[in-house]
Amino acid sequence: MKYRFTRKQLAIPYALFLLVFVIAPLVVIISYALTGSDGHVSLKNLAGFFSDPNTMGTLLYSLMLALVTTAVCLLIAYPVAYALAFSQIKRRSVILLLFIMPMWINFTLRLTALKEILTLIEGNLAFHPFLNSVIGMSYDFLPFMILPIYNQLERMDKSLMEAASDLGADRKQVFLRVTFPLSIPGVVSGIAMVFLPAMTNYVVLEMLYNSTYIMGSLIGSYFSAYDWHGGSMISLILLALICIFTLLGGGNKEENARGGSLV
Amino acid sequence: MKKRAFFLSMIFSVLIAGCSSSGDSADEGVVLRVCNWEEYIDLGDWDEEETIDLESGDIIGENALYEDFEEWYYETYGEHVKVEYSCFGTNEELYNMLTLGDEFDLVCPSDYMFMKLMTEDKLTAFSDGFFDEDIPENYYVRNVSPFIREKFDDHEIGGERWSEYAAAYMWGVTGFLYDPEKVDAEKMNSWNALCDPELKRQITIKDNVRDAYFPALAGLKREHLTDPAFIADPDYAALLESEMNDNSEETVDAALGWLQAAKDNAYSFETDSGKADIVSGKVLANVQWSGDAVYAMDQAEEDGFLLAYSVPEECTNLWFDGWVMLKDGVGADEKKQKAAEAFVNFISRPDNAVRNMYYIGYTSSISGGTDGDAVFEYAEWTYGAEDDEEEPEEYDLSWFFDRGEDEEYMIETSEDQITRQLFAQYPTPEVMERSSIMCYFDDEANARINHMWINVRCFNLERIPMFWRMMIALAILGAVAAFSAYRLHKKRSGR
Repeated sequence: MKYRFTRKQLAIPYALFLLVFVIAPLVVIISYALTGSDGHVSLKNLAGFFSDPNTMGTLLYSLMLALVTTAVCLLIAYPVAYALAFSQIKRRSVILLLFIMPMWINFTLRLTALKEILTLIEGNLAFHPFLNSVIGMSYDFLPFMILPIYNQLERMDKSLMEAASDLGADRKQVFLRVTFPLSIPGVVSGIAMVFLPAMTNYVVLEMLYNSTYIMGSLIGSYFSAYDWHGGSMISLILLALICIFTLLGGGNKEENARGGSLV
Repeated sequence: MKKRAFFLSMIFSVLIAGCSSSGDSADEGVVLRVCNWEEYIDLGDWDEEETIDLESGDIIGENALYEDFEEWYYETYGEHVKVEYSCFGTNEELYNMLTLGDEFDLVCPSDYMFMKLMTEDKLTAFSDGFFDEDIPENYYVRNVSPFIREKFDDHEIGGERWSEYAAAYMWGVTGFLYDPEKVDAEKMNSWNALCDPELKRQITIKDNVRDAYFPALAGLKREHLTDPAFIADPDYAALLESEMNDNSEETVDAALGWLQAAKDNAYSFETDSGKADIVSGKVLANVQWSGDAVYAMDQAEEDGFLLAYSVPEECTNLWFDGWVMLKDGVGADEKKQKAAEAFVNFISRPDNAVRNMYYIGYTSSISGGTDGDAVFEYAEWTYGAEDDEEEPEEYDLSWFFDRGEDEEYMIETSEDQITRQLFAQYPTPEVMERSSIMCYFDDEANARINHMWINVRCFNLERIPMFWRMMIALAILGAVAAFSAYRLHKKRSGR
């Protein structure tokens, strides 16, 4: 007798995974965040975060770092994706592979190499911590920006652009009025994939000798100081921020559904 | 279909039960769960050429030391023991593992961490039999250095002496590892070198709160600590220790300022990369533990240049790692306790201490003597002057090795060893005099210092002038508002 799994049953493994590794930890984090060290429910941790110039400063520093990294990635990635998507080269996928290939190498290894290269160029790395962090993060996250933009541009209906030219638009107008607006879903999903990790990926900073904390290392430092409550609250605040960003950028649902984005 | 689900759940429960029961295999004798620092025990597998040929016999590590222990235990007591060996990365990580429910019998935290565990009543004391020097297998109590034994007897917390709960394993001091060709040795005499503009971005500092707070204290109190009247005080050792454990609010605030200056001056905060960076020439000096310094100096020698080690004149942090038995693991199980104590004794046998020292690079707390002079011979074997050395220097190690038998423990060594590996491994008596233990702080002080440490590393908003802070806030709000308005507008226009 052949047995057929129903759709519900197929969802069981993931539901279990979700329950054990996503929902349960989240509940633990929330319960830690909303209690003080005495075990009573309080919002002290929340107030503490927003009134401390050090934690707020870290938030600002992380935001700035993520913003600059995203801008740099976008500036590099868009022209590349554009050139690739509209080029006449036969083996486009090979060239695309060249951009993705770095992702196959372990990223601490890549950063170690980058560290040596930057030392050759700059001499002493410690004089430019912010710049180095931006370079390291951009190096790391660039493929995540190129891919969605390329996918979006590649699947675009080229006849739309031809139509615009036929109707008298010059190349600049075609790009600004047709191509770019149509590629926005790819850009948005690229931004989401670069901006959010850039706020927390402290390994890059650590390896490139930037000793200022960002959100990720700040949370870690609270935990190693046994302040589970404060650390959980910062995680929760970060989660809330990410939700807000995603909601702000997530209005393109119908466009995303057409494909071309990774998120 | 119901049947199927039932069947699946059966498989799950069998799997889960299988996982949990595989831990105890009672018929196979005792299982001893040991948790130690990474790379902190001889794991064996030495080459033939690595044999250490001492007068008292050749020493070579073929198997991991804990595997040899299993064999030795069976030969000695006729019982089987199985060592489950695992590792931790930091004291805090070990503590979190213990609180989150991992069970071990024997662990090896640093001094302040076993003090914390003692105050929390998490440890089992060693049995009386462990301290009986007449039992032939009691290597620890007979061979631990008298200097270390005294420290473990003199220090107590909550009215209980360290030695009742902890058996010393490795020890060391903190100081500067530096390139003597490029850095003035004089400079390395003060912890304030970390804030010295001449070493801007050329020196690294340790990335953990205690190893950073200690230099800050020493640097801030430099004048007092180096005052001849203070050093001459009959209570110097006790006074020094209380100064170096100062955690009052004013001091912590001052340390914040000092460490922020150090952060702006130093190359980086590091836990492990400092060694590589000084060997590759990226930096000129490290704050370094003595054992790691030995390793880095060896490494640099292989690359054809020399590094030196210096202990600042204010004071140095004397630290120990010690074996302690956990109540949660050992409990009232006498067999387990016997195995745990036997493990400590086995690794304290002088030849095994030498194996560990060779493998790890740190200095063992075992000085030997009663059960052979292997440890002293090893120091001589490693650092003794070559026969063709023209003017060998005498280096006195009696403070560590002498058990009151008035034996001479002198090593004839080459001149440069006095600022190098030998000095880092066994500092001079003068250095040991200005060494201080950094104790465990109570929860309140701990929270204060930890918070200070986090603030050192954070970008403080107050660094930005008020006007710009307002502008940034407005810009962020404006951007969010504009974006939302754009979104709303787009939705309304119904594209």
